[in-house]
Amino acid sequence: MNYNEVTLEYFENTPAAGVLLGPGTLRGAAGDRAHGAWVQFDLRVDAGIVQAARFLAFGCPHTIAVAAWVAEHAPGGELRPALPESVAHLSERFAVPVEKRGRLLIIEDAWLACVRCGNH
Amino acid sequence: MSRPVYLDHAATTPVDPRVAAAMAKCLTAEGAFGNPASASHAFGDAAAALVETARAQVAASVGAVPQEVVWTSGATEANNLAIFGVAEYYGESGRHIVTARTEHKAVLDPCRELERRGWRVTYLAPDGGGLIQPEQVAAALQADTVLVSIMHVNNEIGVIQDIARIAGICARQGSARLHVDAAQSAGKCPIDFANLGVDLMSLSAHKVYGPKGVGALLVSRGGMRESVQLRARQFGGGQERGLRAGTVATHQVVGMGMAFELARAALQSEAERVAPLRERLWQGLAALGGALRNGDAQHSVPHLLNVSFEGVEGESLLAAVRGRLAVSTGSACTSALREASYVLRALGRDDVLSESSLRFGLGRTTCERDVDDAVAVVAQAVSRLRRLSGA
Repeated sequence: MNYNEVTLEYFENTPAAGVLLGPGTLRGAAGDRAHGAWVQFDLRVDAGIVQAARFLAFGCPHTIAVAAWVAEHAPGGELRPALPESVAHLSERFAVPVEKRGRLLIIEDAWLACVRCGNH
Repeated sequence: MSRPVYLDHAATTPVDPRVAAAMAKCLTAEGAFGNPASASHAFGDAAAALVETARAQVAASVGAVPQEVVWTSGATEANNLAIFGVAEYYGESGRHIVTARTEHKAVLDPCRELERRGWRVTYLAPDGGGLIQPEQVAAALQADTVLVSIMHVNNEIGVIQDIARIAGICARQGSARLHVDAAQSAGKCPIDFANLGVDLMSLSAHKVYGPKGVGALLVSRGGMRESVQLRARQFGGGQERGLRAGTVATHQVVGMGMAFELARAALQSEAERVAPLRERLWQGLAALGGALRNGDAQHSVPHLLNVSFEGVEGESLLAAVRGRLAVSTGSACTSALREASYVLRALGRDDVLSESSLRFGLGRTTCERDVDDAVAVVAQAVSRLRRLSGA
């Protein structure tokens, strides 16, 4: 499997990896390790704005790299039920093969679970 | 940038410089470039003499006689010739085959093709260590079984099957011919073709520091039982006793002959040298925790180690080590998505563990430093991926 430069960069460096703890932290996860892909996001939100984001991921390099990119780019944006960039654009940015696009939906589901947690 | 540590000798090996030199002498105008089938002049005679020397070298290395060696393009072709050759020759008397779920695709795919043509195939399941019990073979034999195909050493986990006992069972049944894929065992463990009671055995050169593109099928001339017959699959010149038409590639078979001779001479000393290295590797990996050794360690060649790592995903593990370590993974790229190793799944591993395995193949150049470097690379990758996944 070949990966493009941005995938390799985010897979190898994984900015924003880890967890957030404390009040005001939202957590959402999706996927299943037993099925090969699982992603979790932690978001710290203040006045509807994402202040900090972290992720954990079990999956292929594309899964880890995209989750890392999302967590890195989330701070400063509004908390809303949409990734900082659409699945289609992420797919293009990371050159995700069509067979693996389902992994991006798991990342989106983890994000949405986080947002739902905030709405509740 | 330094090259990665090469621990994928079960996939292929570099050509021994002595082998390469011998091969080169068969290529140019000053060398034995003649067609070995050209009996009308000295150029052909010289090439033919080298071909027969190579045939004798291969035969002597595995306890066969030269007349039992049929050159092929590799073990895959040898497997195809054995399986289709027996099936088509004996098809009138029986249409049942016995093999194992852990065979190489070069055996499984011909068997599946025969199933499509109306043959019945029994796929034996191994035990948790990857071994096929000879009693399983006995129980699977039917009155119309004409072929049993069981590999000697498994290419993914290195376990050695009890071929002698399986051969005895086939001989007692009478009609079942035994084919053995020995691509991984030549040069790794002793082979005594004459006394094993095997009818057909596939060999490959590039696993033992010979060239790619050449192999052989050993076709027993009898001895303990009636000699096996094959229907040829390739026609056009009658070479190799009519079993494999086509000009014999002198340089290729010369390379295989010398590679087998060298491997046989070094077999014992290499096994004694490599076995402690493999244990050093295993101890280093086991210290990570959550490392599961695949295959029965008591019945395996000393050159191979297969380990699954809990809490990591296979594709990421391979991507994380590939810049510094050349190994194989327990999954196959059939597309962008990976498919878990069918061998490890047959041993009872789940999909995630089957995919998160690495196969380490040690070779002649492997030293303690390589092993220690490999442990360090894998340890770093596994620890990082486990942290990333919260495992």
